Amino acid sequence: MDTIAFLAPLFEPQVLLTIALGTFGGLVIGALPGLTATMGVALLIPLTFGMTPVMGLNMLIGIYIGGIYGGCVSSILLRTPGTPASAATVLDGYPMAQKGAAGRALGMATIASTIGGLIAAVVLATLAPQLAGIALKFGAAEYFALALFGLTIIASLSGDLLKGAISGLLGILISTVGADPISGVMRYTFDIQGFASGFAFTPALIGLFALSEVFTQMERIAVGEEPIKSATGRWPTRAEMSESKGALIRGSLIGTLIGIVPGTGSGTASWISYNETRRASNTPEKFGTGYAPGIAATESANNAVCAAALIPLLALGIPGDVVTAVLMGGLLIQGLAPGPMLFQTNPDVVVGMFGGTFIATIFMFIFGMALIPVFSRILMIPRRLLAMSIVVFCFIGAFSINLNPVDLYTMVGFGVLGWGMQKFGFSQAALCIALILGPLLESNLRRGLLQNDDNVLSFISTPITLLFLGLTVLSAAWPFISRAIVRKRAAQHQ
Amino acid sequence: MLKTTLIGAALATATAGAALAADFPKRPVQVVVPYSAGGSTDLSMRVVADAFERLKDGQMVVRNQPGGGGAIGSSAAIHARADGYTLGAGAQGPLVIKPLIGGTDYQLDDVEFIGLYARSLQVMVACADAPFADYDAFIEYAKSGKPQVGNSGAGGANQISAEAFADAAGISIESVPFNGSSEARTACIGGHIDAMVASPAEAKAASESGQMTPLFVMEDERIDLFPDTPTAVEKGVDFTWSSWKGLIGPKGMDEETLAWLRGAVEELANDEEFKKTLTDMGEFVTYEDGEAFEARARKDMETTRAVLEKLDMLGMNN
Repeated sequence: MDTIAFLAPLFEPQVLLTIALGTFGGLVIGALPGLTATMGVALLIPLTFGMTPVMGLNMLIGIYIGGIYGGCVSSILLRTPGTPASAATVLDGYPMAQKGAAGRALGMATIASTIGGLIAAVVLATLAPQLAGIALKFGAAEYFALALFGLTIIASLSGDLLKGAISGLLGILISTVGADPISGVMRYTFDIQGFASGFAFTPALIGLFALSEVFTQMERIAVGEEPIKSATGRWPTRAEMSESKGALIRGSLIGTLIGIVPGTGSGTASWISYNETRRASNTPEKFGTGYAPGIAATESANNAVCAAALIPLLALGIPGDVVTAVLMGGLLIQGLAPGPMLFQTNPDVVVGMFGGTFIATIFMFIFGMALIPVFSRILMIPRRLLAMSIVVFCFIGAFSINLNPVDLYTMVGFGVLGWGMQKFGFSQAALCIALILGPLLESNLRRGLLQNDDNVLSFISTPITLLFLGLTVLSAAWPFISRAIVRKRAAQHQ
Repeated sequence: MLKTTLIGAALATATAGAALAADFPKRPVQVVVPYSAGGSTDLSMRVVADAFERLKDGQMVVRNQPGGGGAIGSSAAIHARADGYTLGAGAQGPLVIKPLIGGTDYQLDDVEFIGLYARSLQVMVACADAPFADYDAFIEYAKSGKPQVGNSGAGGANQISAEAFADAAGISIESVPFNGSSEARTACIGGHIDAMVASPAEAKAASESGQMTPLFVMEDERIDLFPDTPTAVEKGVDFTWSSWKGLIGPKGMDEETLAWLRGAVEELANDEEFKKTLTDMGEFVTYEDGEAFEARARKDMETTRAVLEKLDMLGMNN
């Protein structure tokens, strides 16, 4: 392949400007709660009709990368995940901002997103066709095992195992509302049309994290307690960087691997990465208190998913998540059929998209770093005013997705639920994980049973399922194992 | 307040009268797409909006209102004020299938059919590692085993068409529902199911690279894209199926507005630039007027009713 010649068109000023605009636009869309990268890509697709394939597709990739990154801004500053991908960033990002280190938290997130994006882009450019083969091995049993493994995060994230389990089970219960994935029968909808496809995920998330936080803040404001905040700097300290090294690499690799598997996505990747980083850490107790490696783990993973999700799309014609599905629409409109043949028929487009992924990631870094002081100013707004504007944003964000009033009730309902959970020490994160993984778990369990005449043993039939089920057992037992290790060490020291 | 509005409306009707149609549209026409942005119904409607602005000198705004498998957005269009300014993207699932399964607040009789501009043709394909590679082998296999046929969702158009074919051909299949067509495709290319219904565009690309093998086309006659693939009809099975894209609205629009809108869809569907863009997207551009469109929907409904009855899904969610 004449790679250099195929990359040249990327450096035409017009193309660079288009990618920059796409990335910037995506960043803004991602930063606004409720507006997601999917929406940005879908709404701007008509703009690309008249563009050359490389220009149009790379603009969409820019929006995607910028959009997934942008979600961290409101996660860190407002405890409001801008997109589901950055829900896990709330755990350490927001406490860090509360300690007065909002700038450094944003800086860490930007660096992590960049490293994750670049590592995945390298993997994309070098190993795409080979890795895409792995994605094909995932059938119902493999997805089920992956989802089950993901759910064990709940155990290690919640300090109180019983309360964590209750939160997780509640999440799974809530995720069963709507049409049954196998038979189509309505479950728990109480004849309300809006519940027919279940609770809309983004409004639920906005309620769970953002609105509940406003309620909590209002209580504090009512008793006159006003947390003081100032945002300083943008570069993480040397200590923070060296603590986060492992998290960055682990997050990027986990994000890349999960991104390759279609149908899982950046939400799953960032939670799993957070948990694995915490587990590998010598100081797991620091996670959740505003610890930089926590941000590094989630943000490197979710941006690695972006480039990685392009692997099955370009190599097999299989979109890895919702955004890449829309991108696939974009390819088809350009008259290009994604799939193995694309490498032969249009190598210029494939190489152009690989290159565009790198360029958009670099733009994301530049814009992200440059805008940190601007973003940080949000914190200067008086608490009362800020609380009110967050409420307004919550309502706009939740409504704008489907223009469905039911989504507003969903958001308010989850807001009250989240507030109550926070008050009584139940983990909102556990509920969130269950909402993401519950449907994956259920539909694949039932599909697997349907396909194998209800033979449960079919779930332990392949190496991939055995790997994930083994990890599941290990992960579930980890709290006990680590406690035993600590006890042993303590005994030795005495 | 209500009184003033009523008087105002009455006055407007009286004075405008015949002039109304000539003036239409005075403001942007809104089209509700009952799915989220980016799907084929949404993208094709954006091409319609584009052509509408180019050819009819009016503005058309696409509004996505997903949920309930398309029932929420379709309900919004069907129950909108009948002034021609709120229309809907007519899709098979929410209009024909959902009301039969139950739980919708509208029926096919509540729909005003304006015009159909494209159909999505359907091809049954064999997946990777399937024990059959052409129509005859598929039927032969289905007589002893139960081929697992993936679809894009329980009670969706794919499931109906696969089951309806099985019924017509006297074979039995095992329907395996997925969450959307892209999940089904992944499973098909990965060899986790035996067959599925695909669009010609995706079946073409995938069959060239050996990921899928076309078995038969669900049309009356063979299609240009697959000249070597038979239709079910020529194999002696009376079965055709395609999903469609058209413009619908609420009942009760005045005659002139309706006539203007119907003319607009006809003009769009015959425009060369419009046809080219949609064809490139893999749609089969074809025009049917309101009457033919409605007849097609009613025929699909009869097919669907029989399938749902057999599957015990008729009125399941009422």
